[in-house]
Amino acid sequence: MGIIHLSTIGLLIDIFAAAILVTAVLIVSSRSLVFYIRLFALQSFFLGAVALLVVLGYGETHILIAAFLTIAVKAIALPMVLTRVIERIQVRKEIEFSINITASLLLCAGMVILSDSVAQSILSSQRGEAPAVSRVLSVSIAMMLIGLFIMMTRKKALTQIIGLLTMENGVFLSGLSITYGMPLIVEVGIFFDIMIAVLILGVFVFRINKTFETISIDSLRNLRH
Amino acid sequence: MNNVFGVIVISSFQLLLVLASAPLISGIIKKTKARFQRRRGASVVQPYFDLAKLLRKEVVVSPVASWLFRITPYLVFASTLVIALLVPTVVTPVPLHWIGDIITVIYLFALGRFFVALVGLDTGSAFGGLGSSREMSVASIIEPAMMLAIFTAAVTAGSTNLSIIVARLSSTPVAMLNPAHLLAFSGLFIVTIAETGRVPVDNPATHLELTMIHEAMILEYSGRYLALIEWASQMKLVVFLALLSNMFFPVGIATTWSPWALLVGSAAFFCKIIVLAVIVAVVESTNAKLRLFRVPEFLMVAFILSFLALILFFIIGA
Repeated sequence: MGIIHLSTIGLLIDIFAAAILVTAVLIVSSRSLVFYIRLFALQSFFLGAVALLVVLGYGETHILIAAFLTIAVKAIALPMVLTRVIERIQVRKEIEFSINITASLLLCAGMVILSDSVAQSILSSQRGEAPAVSRVLSVSIAMMLIGLFIMMTRKKALTQIIGLLTMENGVFLSGLSITYGMPLIVEVGIFFDIMIAVLILGVFVFRINKTFETISIDSLRNLRH
Repeated sequence: MNNVFGVIVISSFQLLLVLASAPLISGIIKKTKARFQRRRGASVVQPYFDLAKLLRKEVVVSPVASWLFRITPYLVFASTLVIALLVPTVVTPVPLHWIGDIITVIYLFALGRFFVALVGLDTGSAFGGLGSSREMSVASIIEPAMMLAIFTAAVTAGSTNLSIIVARLSSTPVAMLNPAHLLAFSGLFIVTIAETGRVPVDNPATHLELTMIHEAMILEYSGRYLALIEWASQMKLVVFLALLSNMFFPVGIATTWSPWALLVGSAAFFCKIIVLAVIVAVVESTNAKLRLFRVPEFLMVAFILSFLALILFFIIGA
């Protein structure tokens, strides 16, 4: 079944999961749009690594394609597209917040605790010996919450995209952790969905910037009138 | 050699090691920074000459200074020496490990900091007060971060005694790769940078009033008092590097008192702290000093990393 010893796989999955959580928290702590995109790329790369480890450790070969898609699309293609958008619209300005960084980080710490307690209650209802990857569930729930938090409190259109993508990474990770990933057709569907969504959102950001000369979402309220 | 004589010999060896290597480590950091700036830089042994020169110079004390001003250098130096006795450097357990655990170490640091901050206020200079208030506001964030990082290691080992933490870890090397452990290491690394007044937080090389924290408090010191304070802060750096290297990667540390084991332990210790010192120098050279109001955000990252480390310990288990 496994090529490498299972406990090694478990340890590596733990390390990558911790790295994913750290990138999510670092995104919250950063001020520049470029960092947001780079950290997201790093996060997706670690996610792809976890998926590959699930393939190696548990012999779930159908994840292999999803793992490569994660690295190719989320860690390489999407960051490139978003970086291009930033270069085109020439906003290198700092991100604006509705909650400052210190308070955001504390809230994120709270969210991690919350997601851990939720995940523990889900896992404790499971019967039998839990595989190593199921421990990642609390990290994935935390990522969904942090992604939502980024969308709620960071006031740039591009940060909304990164928040959405972080949430999507969380969903993928939770799929991996509970059922070794969703069926391939669902994964591929989500990938194309996300990819098209980001491309359209990128164009949107570009148009928003052209019309309003800002990508701060506060200004979007003007559309109502 | 498990007797009073051995305890004395090993303890003095450890003290002398930290005392003697402290200026060298800060010399290595200065040299590396100079190299990054494409300067030749002073020799790595220059800090020894600086200390020797300061020890010979006369002491000038402000007429308004109180007794605090005179005892603080000795107090800071002595408290750092006690910490140097408690932190495992080349051998674990350290002979006098029963004196105190990690909480003692944290509060000995706090004791030194308290007196230095008081002295900043004592002479009534504007810079001193500014430095003290900055130091205290920085300390209020890094102390909890440091505690959380160290408690992560303590929870893993099931003890707050530094020697036991190090001994447990060196007997189970796989635990070094535990993600909680790695996170706590990065948290403690940021704490080290802040505690020893290194670049993103403080700049040890300038006396610019906008940025200085530690230097502002000790601005009034001269002669042997300044030498003692400088030496103590160099030792503090070595102690922190020892904590970082031995609490998280206790490779090669001696577990017996045989001369051969001590020799290997010393070699391993020096390799580790020199590598860490160079990393500190690289961080200093590649980062700009943060604006003072940004410093709490940076330190908050250390706090959150240590906090996540502790949480991950319970999520993933060690």
